[in-house]
This record gives sequence, C-alpha cells and structure tokens, in this order.
Amino acid sequence: MAELSIENIAKRFGETEVLKGISIDISDGEFVSLVGPSGCGKSTLLRIIAGLEEQSSGDIRISGQSVAGQRAADRNLSMVFQSYALYPHLSVGENIAVPLKMRRMTGLQRLPLLGNIMPGAREARGTIEQDVSHAAQILEIGHLLDRKPGQLSGGQRQRVALGRALVRNPAAFLLDEPLSNLDAKLRVQTRAEIAQLHRQLDATFIYVTHDQVEAMTMSDRIAVMMGGRILQCAAPDVVYEDPDRIEVAEFIGSPKINILPVEVSGEGRLSLLDQPLNLAVPGANRGVASLGLRPEALRLSGEGAPIHGHVVHSENLGSELYVQVEVTGLEEQVTLRTMPDRRSALTLGTPVALDFDAAKALVFDADGARLRKLRNLSATTSEVA
Amino acid sequence: MTRDWWKHLILILGVIIVIAPFYMMVSYSFKSPGEIDRGEGGFFGRQEMMVDERCVKLRDPSREDIAAAALRFPDTTDGNIRNALVAEAEADCAVRPVVFNYTKAFSEAPLLRYLLNGVIVTASIFLIQVVVALPAAYALAKLKFWGRDAVFALVLFCLLIPVHAIALPLYIMLAKLGLTNTYAALVVPWTISVFGIFLMRQFFMTVPDDLIDAARMDGMGEFAIVWRVMLPTAIPALLAFAIFSIVAHWNDYFWPRIVVTGNRDLFTPPLGLREFKGDGDGSYFGPMMATATVIVTPLIVAFLLAQKRFIEGITLNGMK
Ligand SMILES: Nc1ncnc2c1ncn2[C@@H]1O[C@H](COP(=O)(O)OP(=O)(O)OP(=O)(O)O)[C@@H](O)[C@H]1O
Ligand SMILES: [Mg+2]
Repeated sequence: MAELSIENIAKRFGETEVLKGISIDISDGEFVSLVGPSGCGKSTLLRIIAGLEEQSSGDIRISGQSVAGQRAADRNLSMVFQSYALYPHLSVGENIAVPLKMRRMTGLQRLPLLGNIMPGAREARGTIEQDVSHAAQILEIGHLLDRKPGQLSGGQRQRVALGRALVRNPAAFLLDEPLSNLDAKLRVQTRAEIAQLHRQLDATFIYVTHDQVEAMTMSDRIAVMMGGRILQCAAPDVVYEDPDRIEVAEFIGSPKINILPVEVSGEGRLSLLDQPLNLAVPGANRGVASLGLRPEALRLSGEGAPIHGHVVHSENLGSELYVQVEVTGLEEQVTLRTMPDRRSALTLGTPVALDFDAAKALVFDADGARLRKLRNLSATTSEVA
Repeated sequence: MTRDWWKHLILILGVIIVIAPFYMMVSYSFKSPGEIDRGEGGFFGRQEMMVDERCVKLRDPSREDIAAAALRFPDTTDGNIRNALVAEAEADCAVRPVVFNYTKAFSEAPLLRYLLNGVIVTASIFLIQVVVALPAAYALAKLKFWGRDAVFALVLFCLLIPVHAIALPLYIMLAKLGLTNTYAALVVPWTISVFGIFLMRQFFMTVPDDLIDAARMDGMGEFAIVWRVMLPTAIPALLAFAIFSIVAHWNDYFWPRIVVTGNRDLFTPPLGLREFKGDGDGSYFGPMMATATVIVTPLIVAFLLAQKRFIEGITLNGMK
C-alpha cells in the first residue's frame, strides 16, 4: 500500500510528444481512473508508472521514494493488461504463482526437477501454494487452478489476471482497460467486482479506461486526459457537474452534453440564436461562447422558451426517455431527458419548446475554459417584480 | 468435383515422384544382388536363399584345411575334399537377402558408431543453435536498440550466402586452429543459424508485447523471459526449426567429407555410405541401400512423431 506522486511527466516518441507534463498525486488506497479518448496517452502514462517505459522527463515517487531508473519488477506494482497476458503454457495456478516464485525463490530453487531438492524449496513452494489458493479464493477461481488459460472464458481469464496481480500484495494496482474484452453484461458485473475488490484490499488502484461510465461508477477520482494532458482530476460528480473545460464536459456524461453556440453581448448577457437569455456572465469578453446543457438540465416548456424545435428521435430506456430535438436554426440536435410517460406526447415531428435550468447551465468561453461566474437574470427580475 | 479430381491427381503424381526413390531404396535393401540387377522380385524380392560370395571366399580352404578335413572325408582326392569343403562353406554362407543386406550394413562398417556420431553432431548443433538463436531472435523481435534493423538486415543477408561459398575459408580457419578431424569441426561452423534466428524472430513478432511486459512486472529478467516465456510459447516453431536443422545436418555429406579426412571414428552416417562405394561391382547395392534405410529411419520416425506440431509451427500459428 502506498501513495503515488507523479510529477510533471513528459514523454516523446521521436518527434511526437505524447505526454506533455502530467502531474497527479494519488493517495494511499485511492481508486483513480484515467479516462480519455483513444490515443491520448493513457497507456503510455500507465506504462511509465509501471516502469515498462521510460519518461523523457519528470519523476515518479512511490511512498515518497523516487523510482527513477528502477526496473519494473522492483517497483512492487502489479499490472493487469487489456489482453490479460497470461502465460499460455502454464496452468492457472502456475500463472498466479509466477510473481511469487520469481520473488521468493532463488534461481536454483526454480530449476525444474533439481529445484525440488534445493534447501528451502519445499517450504517456499508451500507458502506460495497457500497464497495462490488464498488469491483464488478471493476471486472465486479455485476450481480453475489446473486449467490452461486457453480453456477459460474471457471473464475467467480476466479474473486470473487479477489474481496474478493481487497475489503479491503490491504497492498499487495498475489496470489498463481490463474490461474492454468482455461482453457488455459481464463488464457491468466485473466492474462492480473490481470496485468491491478495491474496498476489500484497500489498495491503491490506477485504472485506465476510455469508457467514462466505468470511470464514473468505480473511482474516487477521475483524471480526464486529452492530448497528453490531464484536463481535470476530481471526484466523478464534480467532473460531471462542474467540469473545468468544454472537452471534459463533452467527454463525461452519456448521452453527451448539449453544446449550444451563444453570443456574449455587452454586460455579459448571453443570447442564443439572437434571442437574449436570462443568463449573464459578468465580466466576460464580448463574442462567441458555448452553453453546455446536460440532457437533464433541459425541460419541456411552453411559450417564451428560448429553444424551439421538433422531435426527430426518441429512445426509451424504461426508467427514462431521451428525446432528440432538431432545433430550428441549429445544426446540432439537442438531447432532452424526460419521464417515459411523456412518450405519447412526444411522437416524431411534434413541435416542442425547451427551457433550461439556469443553475445547471455550464458556460465556456471561446477557448473552451469554463466561465463560472454566472448571473441568473430571470431570478433577479422575478425578485424585482 | 472435377476440379478436385485434378488437384488430387496432381498431388498423387507429386507424391509418387517424391516417394519413388525411397521406394527403390527400401526395396533394394530387401533384395538379392541378382534381383537388383535383373530388376525383378517386386517390392520384397523373393527372399530365396542366396550365397554370400565374400563369406565363401573367406573360407576358401587352404592346404592345411584340406589336410585337416582328410579325416572326415576318407578315400577321396584332395580336389574332392576341397569341393566338399567349399560346398559346406556355401551352405553355411547361405542367407536370406534381407538378412544379408542388413547384417552387411552393420558389419561392413561400424554403422552404429556412425549413427552415434550423427546423433552427437546433430544434437549438439541443434542445442547450440537454439541457445544462440532464441536470445538473438528475442532481441531482434522485442527489444529496442540502436541498429536493430541493420542487424536484422544482416541476418537476412546471411540467409543468402550459400554454404559452399564459405566452405573453403571455414576449412582453412579450422585447419589453422588445428580443429580438423574433431567433433568441433563438425559442429562449430553451424552453431549460429541465421535461418533459426530469422524463423524464431518471425514467430516472436506474433507474441503479444503485453505478455513480455507482464513477465517483466512479475520479476523476470530478459533471459528469464527468453527461456521461461518465449521458449515454451515457441515450441511449435522450434519443432519446425528442429526438423530443418536436424534433417540438414544428419543428412549432410558435404561438410563432414571435408573436415573429417582420416578418422573413421568421426564418420557421420552419410559418410558411412561411402564404405560401399568402392566396390564398383554393384553387388553391394543391397547393403548400401540397407545402410541408407537405417540412416533415414530415425528422421522419418521423428518426423511422424512431431508431424502435427511441426505443421503448426510452419504456419506460425502458436498463439491463441
Ligand atoms: N512505442 C511507441 N512508439 C511511438 N509512438 C507510440 C508508442 N507507443 C504509443 N505511441 C503513441 O502514443 C500515443 C498514445 O498512445 P497510448 O497507447 O498511450 O494511447 P491510449 O490513450 O492508451 O489509447 P487507447 O485508449 O487506444 O489504448 C498514440 O498516438 C500512439 O501512437
Ligand atoms: Mg491504451
């Protein structure tokens, strides 16, 4: 168990700069997810932490100790790979035992046949066997120990890979998209199990995924990576409700956040499609900006609503209904979340008027940075009235 | 359907062409010289008793023999005694052709010794080739180092060099080192197999990087990875290489002929075949073919045993 601190890590492959100064502190027992689109450098960062790749600059500390120049094996970190990377020629039990054998037994003791007569080999094998069966018990794979990886299902292989990682009580677990080869149902199930495992082991987890749902459901904190930088690192609800940048808002949340182009006029008042909104950003520069509205921030409304359009598509998830609305004057459609009982009233082509909850509105400037100082004009006017 | 017919016909023709020499070899090893000369007797020959001319000649009665035998054949001339002795010798030397051929194969030359030499030489060559090729192939496939591509290009280039082109310099080098007529001369020049490096490198390219990284995380060093991870996953490819290597060096006539000049104790099986060559009268085709059959049998047995995995290896299909 240990805390990790990643200080200004940069990585270049030849000319291309993949990581551009990543810093993040991870405390003991924390579950941190690295999310981001494909190719943003998540795996590279994880491999640098693991010691499988060398950073171009920056430092990594585990429990306060710099691990610069240390081999992967000496960092006492465990990694679970996307492809599981089990040794195909070894049984499940032997696979899980490998990290222990490599650490606890001498080269002579590991020799086939001859190793058995080396002093201490028997005891070492005994304790390793115990640890393996303990790990197998945690993951409920005790009955699979004699099989070869080729004879296992994807989910079972995944557990074996986890078993191999946890058997040696590492300082931290590094997981690189461990669920991406599983089918949807198994993924949801394993997701819960990994979260539970984290609580049970109380270990530090760094979890790489490009699936924001996984990140949202499992983590203590989410680090959203894009283009080799961490854009925001915060608790899931904070990242969702209070994103720092438009990219973060767009990446996190499903269905995606609606981004509407707005104008900032004098005194910072926003207007959408030349219609002034009851929302102002005091002190903002005049010009274009973006208004981000989550599907649940939108609501059906009547006359005088700022957004008008008609229904082009709807998706009923049972507990909620997502309606796609084509807004007159906008290229992008907006998504609205509502109750499924409104379904009959929202058939295709129905004209709708949409209003939004100003408290949930997210405004970003032209560069995508969040503008936090909002003033709700409707509230103030109604107060005045 | 008709198209399949043609395919099979062509394949069968190919098989006949390939098998025919083997058929002749095995068949001759069963037949008597007369049958071989006249080309009769089917595959197995008629297996009629035949007289081993040499055996008879060796027992050609001398004057003392005749004198000694006079007691057994009273009242006859020496000439008759002689004839009787020759007849006895011929009776004793009568053997079935198959027995004749195979006993000759083993008695005329120390074939067992040659076979042992063959095993020692091919096994040493193969083992050292593996010890060299696996780490080299691993480095070429999975490690990043300056000049890797250039080294691999050199490996490919070396594949193009025919053995015969460098035989003479190699011989001179060995001779200068005083190594001719030793096992070392038979083994050392072949210990670095560029073909082996190339084949294993191509196989290792298909091994996922994650597996190697996992091994590193588990605490293995690079050599441990080669022997504990790459070797076991590469068994099919290794078997394919084993067959190529062992067949080539077991059957090699050229190189042993060059570096083993006098010492018969170092002869490999193909050199053993020469023992029958000098006779010139052709009567030793039978034993010669028996020797050849004995020499190829271990290879064929080994191939049959490894056949399934060998084919897997050739298609480089080890993972998944
Ligand atoms: N060994 C390498 N040599 C050159 N470029 C590399 C190397 N490894 C990764 N890259 C590049 O670095 C970038 C980041 O790769 P990385 O694997 O970290 O992405 P990722 O975020 O894990 O993506 P994914 O979600 O698809 O796994 C990619 O553009 C990739 O092409
Ligand atoms: Mg990745």
